[in-house]
Parts: sequence; structure tokens; C-alpha cells
Amino acid sequence: MSKLAAALALLTPVSCLLTPLSAQDARQIVEESQRRGRAESERYEGVLEVFAANSRVSKKSWITERLGSYGNSKTVIRFTAPAEVKGVALLVINHPDRASDQWMWTPAVGRDRRVALQDRATRFFGTDFSFEDLEERDANQFDYRLTGEETIDGAPCWRIEVRPRAAKSSQYTLSRIWIRKDNYVPAQYENYVKDQLARRLRQSDIASVQGIWTARTLEMTDLRRHSRTVLRIEKLVYNAPMHEDEFTVQALRRER
Amino acid sequence: MRQGRAKLAAAVCLLTPASCLLTPCFAQDFSQRGFLETGVFLFPQTAPNDSGRATGESLLRYEAFYKLFAGLELKGGIDAYFDTHGESDREIGLSFWDRGTRRPSFAVRRLSASYHRGKLSLEAGKQFIRWGKTDILAPTDRFAPRDFLNLVDADYLAVTAARATYGTQANTIDVVFEPRLTPSRVPLLKQRWAVLPAGIPFADEAPVFPGGPQFGARWNHIGVRAEYSFSFYNGYDNLPLYHGALLPAAVGLQRFYPQMRMYGADAAVPLRWLTVKAEAGYFTSTTPEADHYALYVLQLERQAGEWSFVAGYAGQAVVQHGTAVAYSPERGLARSLVGRAAYTIDTDRSVEIETVVRENGAGMYVKPAWSQALGPHWRVTAGFALIRGRDGDFPGQYHRNSFAILTARYSF
Repeated sequence: MSKLAAALALLTPVSCLLTPLSAQDARQIVEESQRRGRAESERYEGVLEVFAANSRVSKKSWITERLGSYGNSKTVIRFTAPAEVKGVALLVINHPDRASDQWMWTPAVGRDRRVALQDRATRFFGTDFSFEDLEERDANQFDYRLTGEETIDGAPCWRIEVRPRAAKSSQYTLSRIWIRKDNYVPAQYENYVKDQLARRLRQSDIASVQGIWTARTLEMTDLRRHSRTVLRIEKLVYNAPMHEDEFTVQALRRER
Repeated sequence: MRQGRAKLAAAVCLLTPASCLLTPCFAQDFSQRGFLETGVFLFPQTAPNDSGRATGESLLRYEAFYKLFAGLELKGGIDAYFDTHGESDREIGLSFWDRGTRRPSFAVRRLSASYHRGKLSLEAGKQFIRWGKTDILAPTDRFAPRDFLNLVDADYLAVTAARATYGTQANTIDVVFEPRLTPSRVPLLKQRWAVLPAGIPFADEAPVFPGGPQFGARWNHIGVRAEYSFSFYNGYDNLPLYHGALLPAAVGLQRFYPQMRMYGADAAVPLRWLTVKAEAGYFTSTTPEADHYALYVLQLERQAGEWSFVAGYAGQAVVQHGTAVAYSPERGLARSLVGRAAYTIDTDRSVEIETVVRENGAGMYVKPAWSQALGPHWRVTAGFALIRGRDGDFPGQYHRNSFAILTARYSF
């Protein structure tokens, strides 16, 4: 998920329900969305289909494990297919006050590599997600503005404009997020680079998993490359027991 | 005895996955991967000691990982190799120590048990250990011998060692004990990657392997603005020196491996526009025939869209000259400018180019390659290496070894 998408995807709001909608500001909606999606940990198997501009389709799959919540979470993504990238892994350590730290492990080389901040606009292993899109940033790293209401897939949504605060480093200069009013799940993100729409993330197949409303199909479209990636989330489990020491560079090197 | 151990190792390696496959409930604790790769090398020119213009090779690699219980994992892998140019042994047997002059037809690629609990990780057995941060040349990567049968396409070899790592994300200490040296494999004297004076017959004498162990320690720090390490190594060089002896009908060349002590450091600093990496090692030896020297690398990296760039300089300063002839590709490629660029065309296709140019212009090679995936399992790679230079220069001496290569790999 894009950091904005991710941030929005997990906002939560009980207090908002007690307040007239008109009184809610954009930040409250986002924070409520994050609160509702909060879990101690998360594990799922992701099945990806990458549709290239020339109609070529390639399939990939990975296992994602996340420990902690927005702003302080740690994530390991490990490819399980196709065979030639099996074992490739990415560690993302999010921070509440700055961009994440990321390391990539490539078994064929036998070394880990820190993914530098300026390299995070790069596509992540041939998908339409960039390295930056895999971050989960804290809501406080952005400024929000409620810009209207629209319907996405038949569901009424708030449309919120999101800009990274000046000190933050991001490839995106602006994002727009549509958050569903019924369950506070983000339905769509649009990410802009210098006023040009660069990527769009649609979230669908929303269901309650262990009491958390979750989008189980994510479709990221790269509008500059005219390609898209569909991520289907399977075998999703929240609050599974996980250990802090599994989310280190040291652990990344433990091949599986 | 050794052969018996090797067979046992192979059995463990192969039986573990097989048993797992029969037990679905353990499926999530077992993973495997591998490939079958077949390649053809075409050399436009013959070499004085090698008239072959085309060689073929096939490699079957299988690796399996099995988590026995929380914290304890077994890792195993085997290689089966065959070639048309006599680079591999034709004996049917399983090599564990991988010390032969030729590549073994069947080898234990890795076989180790690892255990981790909290901040402590332990691994014992045949394993891959990589130190350092730079890519073009890694002076501190002392537990990573390589197979230099083909200089431009050298794979890494595993070492048999015990390794303990302790620490948090920010600070880790890595301690390695390798009881028996795994040497790098050097070019065969009667093939083109060994460039020897013409008209003189040479004979490869049985090498003298050191009996002592290797020890190394490395402290690594990961900070917000930089990562850096300090490392120490005491043992033997995995690249040989040579003794020469006059035999009745040839000059005998005997490999021996000098004692080596290394003090090293490496660092990576991500800046606004690029990442700077640096690595240096200072090497001393108690072996009188060996040089005392420093190797260092400065490297810049950047990814921009679908492009990735690496460029740098590898340098060397010899403090004290030894008397023996050495075979050292890592030192031979020092005092060079090195660059690599790769472009991802789409999810299936990519191109890359790598080049090494000596600072005095005496030698260079450039190696472009194009790679195409065909479906989820197949990948075809085509490329060539153009090598130019003078006889006295390390890469330059291989100026008759420019080649084209075509490989097909089936990954599973």
C-alpha cells in the first residue's frame, strides 16, 4: 500500500460516529480509519498479477508479516514465487517521525542492501508498487484537507487531500484518498508527482476479518507506464504471535 | 571416511525435503528452490594453451530449508555439474570440501544447521558468509572463496565454519571460526584462463593446503545516517601463491596459501542523490613470500526509475613486496574504474552492462547482457564479454578470451 494509502487504509473512528459528519475534519477521519484497522500483528499471503502495457501477464506471490501499528510497524515481505525470485525479501522499519528504513535481501547474491531514500520511487520487483508504497507512515507525517464526498463502487466516501509535510521526503507531492463512510476503509488512493497522476490504488473485496474491516483486493495502476498490479490477500490473520527479533536485518538473512 | 561423511550429508540433505513433502502439515516449515541451467560459451579466438572455441556446461542446483522447530533450521543444497571442456571431474562421488582443481560433478553446495534465540544466531556447517558492502570488489569479504575457472563469471563457494552473531538491529557482532580453509578455485593450467609463457610446458603440482584454522570477527552498526563495520580476519588467503620447480620435462607449479591477517572497515552512507559506499582492508602476512598491501574501494550507487547505476574505483597500495608469484583476481582488478548499469525494460526483460577499465588503460573488459523471462520458470540470457589489453596487465592478458554466451535456465 502507498504510505498514504496505508495510512488511510487503517484509520479508525468511534468518536467520529458520535459526531456529526460535517464536524469531522479530515485528520479525524484518517486517524479513525487507522485506529479501526489497528492490530498487534498481521500475516497474509499475497498473490500478485502484473499486467504490463503490452498485455503480458506475470504472476508473483509473497508472504507478508507485520508487527506493530502505523508509524511504528515493522514489515517483512518474502517472495515465494516465481521460482527465480523465491527467497528475495524486504524489511521495512517504519518510524513515527520520518521515512522508513528498508533493506532488501537477495539470496543469489547473499548480501543485504539498504534501499536508499532516493531509490524508493523504483518499482518493487517488477510490480506497480514502488518501495515507498510499501511503507506505513504515521498520520502525523501529513497534512489533510477534506475536499468533498464521492461514491466509489457504490459506497459513499469522503475525499481527502493529503500532502507530506515539508520536512518529509516522498516521491508524491499530493495524494487523494477516498474513505468509505460505512466502515472507514480507504476505497481509493491517487498519488501525484508534480501535479501529474502517477499511481492509483483501488481497494475492494472488503470483509470483516477478526473484527477488522479489510480490503482483500488491491489494484495498483501505474498511469505513466500503463501497467497495473492486482494484489489478492489470502490467509489473512491478525494478532498472530510474532517476535521483535524476526524483524531485523539479521533475521532477513535467515533464508527460508 | 570423508567420502562416507559426504554421503551422509547428502542423504540428510535429500531425505529431509522428501519426508516433508509426504507430510502436508509441515509444509509451511519446508521450502525448496533450484534451477537447471545450460549455457554455451563461444570464443572467437583460440588461446596458446587452448584450441577450444566452443564449450558447453550444465548445472543443476537444488536447495532445501526445513524449520525443525522454532529457532532451529536445517539448510541443504547440492550441485550437479557437467561440461564439455574438462573443467569438471568425471568421477561419480559427492564432494564436500570442494578443494579439487576441477569442479566436482556432484558437490554439497551447503549443509548447515542454524539456531537463533533472541539476539543470538548460531550456524554451523557448510554455509555462505558474506562480509562487506561494496559490490565491485569487497576487500573484507574474507570467507567468500570463488570459482575462478572462468574469471569473468566467478561463482561463490561455501565455507565450512561455525558462525555466531549477537546483537540488535543497530549493533551486531559476528564471529566466525573456519577450521579448514576452502580455497578459491583457480584456472586450469591447460585452459585459456591460465595465461602462461608460450613454449614452456607447465605441470600442476599437488597443492599445499594449510592446516590451521581461520578466525574472523566483525562489528556492524546501523545508524540513521550511515551503516559501518569494522572487521578482523586471521587465517590464510584463499587465493594462492606459487612455487616453481624444474621437473625433467616441465616446470612444476605448486600452489600454497599464505598466512593472512586483515584489518578492515566498510561503510554505506545514503545521501540525497546517491549512496556512497566505501570498503578497505589492510593485509599483512607472516609468510615471507607474500605481499603486505591495502585494498580499497569507493563506490557510488543510484537508482533512477528503471535504471540502476553503480560506479567506483578500486585501488591498491603495496606496502611490502613478497617474492612469490600470486594469482589474485581481486588485486589484479584493482587500480581500475568499474561501472555497472542495468535497465529493467518490463517485468520480463532487462539489460545490463558491466565494465572494468584499468587506470593506466592497459586492460579492460566490457560485458553487456540481455535477459528475457519466458513464463514463470524459464529465463534466457544472451551476452558477450569483450576483453582488451596488454599481456602484462591482469585483465588485459586475457585479450584472446573475449566470448559470447547464451544460457537458458529453468527455475523451480
